[in-house]
This record gives sequence, structure tokens and C-alpha cells, in this order.
Amino acid sequence: MRHALRVVAAEALKQHRRLFGQPLVVFSMLIWPVLTLAVTYYTVLPVTGAPAAGARWAVAGDPRRLLAFLAAGALAYTFFFSLVQSAWHFSFERVSGTLEAVFLSPASRLALVVGNGAGALVQNAWLFGCFAVAAASAADLLRVAHPGMYVVAFVALLVPAVAWGAFLNSLLIFSRDSAFLYTLLDDPLWFVAGVRLPLFALPVWVKAVGLAFPLTSSLVVLRGSLLDGARVAELAAPLAWLAALTVGLFAAAAGLLRWGEARAARTGSLQLF
Amino acid sequence: MSTGIVTTALCKVFPPRRTPWSWRARGTPVAAVSGLSIAIPAGQVTGLLGLNGAGKTTTIRMLSTLLRPTSGTATVDGLDVVADARAVRRRINVIAGGERMVYSRLTGRENLWYFGQLYDVPRARLRRRVGELLELVGLAAAADTPVERYSRGMRQRLVIARGLVNDPAYLLLDEPTLGLDAPIARELRLLVARLAADGVGVLLTSHYLAEVEQLCRHVHVLDGGRLVAQGSPAQLVAQTDRQHVLVVTVGGSVPAAVEAVRAVSRDTGARLDVDVDEAGRDRLTLRHRDDLAGPVVDAVVRAGGSIVTVAVTPPTLEDAILAMSRATPAGVR
Repeated sequence: MRHALRVVAAEALKQHRRLFGQPLVVFSMLIWPVLTLAVTYYTVLPVTGAPAAGARWAVAGDPRRLLAFLAAGALAYTFFFSLVQSAWHFSFERVSGTLEAVFLSPASRLALVVGNGAGALVQNAWLFGCFAVAAASAADLLRVAHPGMYVVAFVALLVPAVAWGAFLNSLLIFSRDSAFLYTLLDDPLWFVAGVRLPLFALPVWVKAVGLAFPLTSSLVVLRGSLLDGARVAELAAPLAWLAALTVGLFAAAAGLLRWGEARAARTGSLQLF
Repeated sequence: MSTGIVTTALCKVFPPRRTPWSWRARGTPVAAVSGLSIAIPAGQVTGLLGLNGAGKTTTIRMLSTLLRPTSGTATVDGLDVVADARAVRRRINVIAGGERMVYSRLTGRENLWYFGQLYDVPRARLRRRVGELLELVGLAAAADTPVERYSRGMRQRLVIARGLVNDPAYLLLDEPTLGLDAPIARELRLLVARLAADGVGVLLTSHYLAEVEQLCRHVHVLDGGRLVAQGSPAQLVAQTDRQHVLVVTVGGSVPAAVEAVRAVSRDTGARLDVDVDEAGRDRLTLRHRDDLAGPVVDAVVRAGGSIVTVAVTPPTLEDAILAMSRATPAGVR
């Protein structure tokens, strides 16, 4: 376990050093989500002025609450999509030859992919996370039933995101043809997960697809606990589903790593040079 | 428990390529290594030679746990490379030529620190070890420079340091001097010899056969994935019946001296060619398994001739490897 934690920390630091050379890159992690949020907000805002909108969706009747709703969506999306990007970058290690050097070592493979995902999460999301929380607090938009709900919201966002990252890393490092996942998990992810629209407004089949992604339930918990003053009991269903998804993703990641490494050892496909 | 690396009837057949959504295989199975039984003891450098495609790299990849043998076994100090893969990885490391296997945006020190963490080198020791290795490979001054600013030789030296970060009991070297300048390659050879003297078991593959002759006490020769010969470099050269080439230039025109050398040629069975050099002197070329310089010079002098030049070219390991590879029937490859 001690070795696994060292591997997680080392991998996260390596990931940071590989991808972040200039401080400007760090600030782009704030600018990009804020711009996305602004575009979404000003796109949705004119529509919310319609008389029926407020009746159907209470949040739409209050521009400040609408902004908070969208900001929560952008924050959670930043968490999850940063892991898609990290997995995409990790997959290039196979081509550059470093993945083979890593696989020569006795390091736990699961610890490696968790470390890679956790590193991406911290460096991509911390700035926007801080900004979003500070802005929401300053604008008095947070409605929290109990201070412990901050912890619930944070854990509900962080742990499934790390599991998601581990799963994606496991999937991408052994496959040469997984580039399509990058596209598949960009716009469709925010659509099916209810990042910019309330889930009730989506067709049933989209909601069903969305349930397979932990981002959907993470967002329900995040918005419920920080914006709607919900307690743990009220969020029990999404929390339970999120826990099940997280366990499933970690198990899938471990299985994929085992299967992928065994296959690579049989076929020699880990080597690209 | 047996010590050293031991392979018994080791085989690797690469299956034809198959995509997850198609059961139809493309291509045919490729046997890269067949029935290989070799031993790599601790404390010496063992060579693994052969032409391209002989199975050297596949063997190294099986020993380093990156490839799973199709059949047969390979053990490292009694630990099976499949069943005890994690324990084996702690005891070995691989250095491959070609400056890959390090992160270009990280500094040399950061690279070694990172790999040290993966090998679970104790924290206090790792700090010291990283400093020692950077010193050893001559990168101490560039320790905190990103690797992308290193020259090719510097990168390769860092790859070498990476391979030593876990203080391996066995080191597998796959063309480690590929692309290195002569002085750096020489330093690496000295380092390898020193490691072996300190008890590290080294398996070396290299296309620079002089390097192998200099370092290896024992050499295994592969061809078409099979072991075709083994022994010391001198034994391998002797096995292939390669010949010493002796060239003697005789001063003046002394027919008796040439006749005396003809007699030596007849007695020993050496092949003799006689011609004249640019200065019109008799030049005698003899080819024989043994070095005939002594008897030939003696015969020339006794016959009243004088020696202007004597040159002996002994058979090389390269000649032997080429001869062994040519001798293997095509069907076996």
C-alpha cells in the first residue's frame, strides 16, 4: 500500500511536469471553463425570459440561480473532461516508449492510472474549483443544509472522477484506435449528463444513457447539496448509484489493465518501436 | 534455489493479429524463439548474438516480463518470470539503445527520481542513488536541465542511469551503445565490466562484436530463434574453422625463400597465394586455422631471405557469427 501511494504521488507529479511548462497553461485552466460558462449563460439567458420558462423550471426564472446551476455544471464537467484529456495524453506514452519503461517496473498498474488521473484532476480543476466556490460564496448563492454537505459534494465529485480517470486510462493505453473516445466523450458527455440543461428536460433515453456516466449523478449531488440545501437522506439514491458506479469503474479499470497487459505480453503489442 | 537467469526450452510464437471485433486472424503465427535453454550467471557478462531477427530482443523481453513465453520456462534466481513477475521486476532492469524510455520535459534528476519511486527505492537511499548515478554517467552538471535540451549521447547516458536506478541484480542490455560516440561507448563498456565485477549478471546483445569480445566471458549465438552455438568468444571462433590470414613481404628476389614458404604451406595444408607488391617485392599470403607467422618467418630467414613486413589478421567473432548464421539450414530459421 505504501508503495502504491508513492507510485500515485510520483505519477501525479510526473504528469504535472510533462504537461505544464508555463504558468500561462495553469491560468488557461481557469479561462477556458469561465469562457464556456459565459457562452452557455448568455445563450440560455434570453430563452429564460419567456413567461412559461420560469413556470416549468424555477431556476430559469432567476438569472443568479441559473448562473449557479450552470457554474456547478461547468465545474463538474471540468473535473471529468480533464480526465478524458489526461487519458488521451497517457496513451501517447505507448508511442514514445516510456510506457514500456514504466511497465518494466514492479509498480502497481492501477496505482499508476489512478495517479495519472488524480494528477490531471488537481492541476486542471483546482483553479476553476476555487474560483467557482469563491464566486458562489461571494454572490450568496450557496444553500447548504449542513457544513458536512461541503464534504459530501467534494467527495461525490472527486472520487467518481478519479475512478472515471482510472477507467479511461486503462482503456486508452492498450488501444491504438481509441482516439474516437476523445470526441465521443466531449460534447455528448455534457449533453447526456445534464451539464447545461436540467435532467428533467431531457428525453428518457438520454437520461438512461446519462446514468451510465458518473458525471450525471455527481452533478445531481453537487447541485443538490450546494445549491438546493438537500441533506444526505434526500440524496441517498444518487449517492448509492454513484458509489456503485465508482466501484464498477475501479473494478473495470483493474480488469482492463490485467487483460490489456496480458494481451500485450502475448502479442508483443506494448512495443511500438 | 538456482541462481542466475536460467531458461529451459523457452519458446515464443507471436500469434496472428486479431481485432476484438473480428475472429478472423490476419497473417500467420511467427516463431521468434524456439527451445532456447541458456544460463546467465551472476557476476559476469554473457553475450547473446545473432543477426537481425535471430530472437535476441524477444528473449530479453521475455526475461524482463514484458513478453509471456508461449512455452518453456525462464527463472531469475529461481523466480519464474510469469508466476513471480513482480518479484522478478525488482531484480532486473533493461537498458535499450536509442535514447527512448525517458521523459523529455522532465529533468535528468526528475526522471531518475520518478523511476526510483516506481521501483520503491527507499526515500533516503533514492536521493543518494540519483546523485551517484548522475555522477556515474557524467550528467551531474546537467542534472536539472530538461532532457529535451540534452544531446543524443546525454539522453542515452540518462537511459543507462535509469536502468541502474533499482540497483538491479541482473541487467539486460539491448544494443546499449547504439548511436553513442566512441568515448562514451568506451565508458559504458568500462561501467558494464565494473558492474559485473561487483556481482551483477549482465546479458548483452550488440551489433558491435568487438564490444562483445571485450566484455563477454560466454556467448550464446541465436539464429532463427534457435541456439546454434555457445562458448567463449575464442571457442566460437575456433568452432567455425575461420582462418588466420598471414601476409609476408620478402625483401629482394630470393626464390629459395618463396620455395621455403611453399614447403611450409604443403606441410601445414595452408593456402598460399604469391604476388608482388607495388615495389616489386614478393608478397606471400597464407590462410590457415593457426597463426603460421613463426614457422614462415623462420623458413624465410633460413632460406636467406629478409622480412620486410609481417601482418597477421586473426579470425574475428564477426566472421564466426556470420559463418554460423549461414550454416543454419533455411528451413530451421
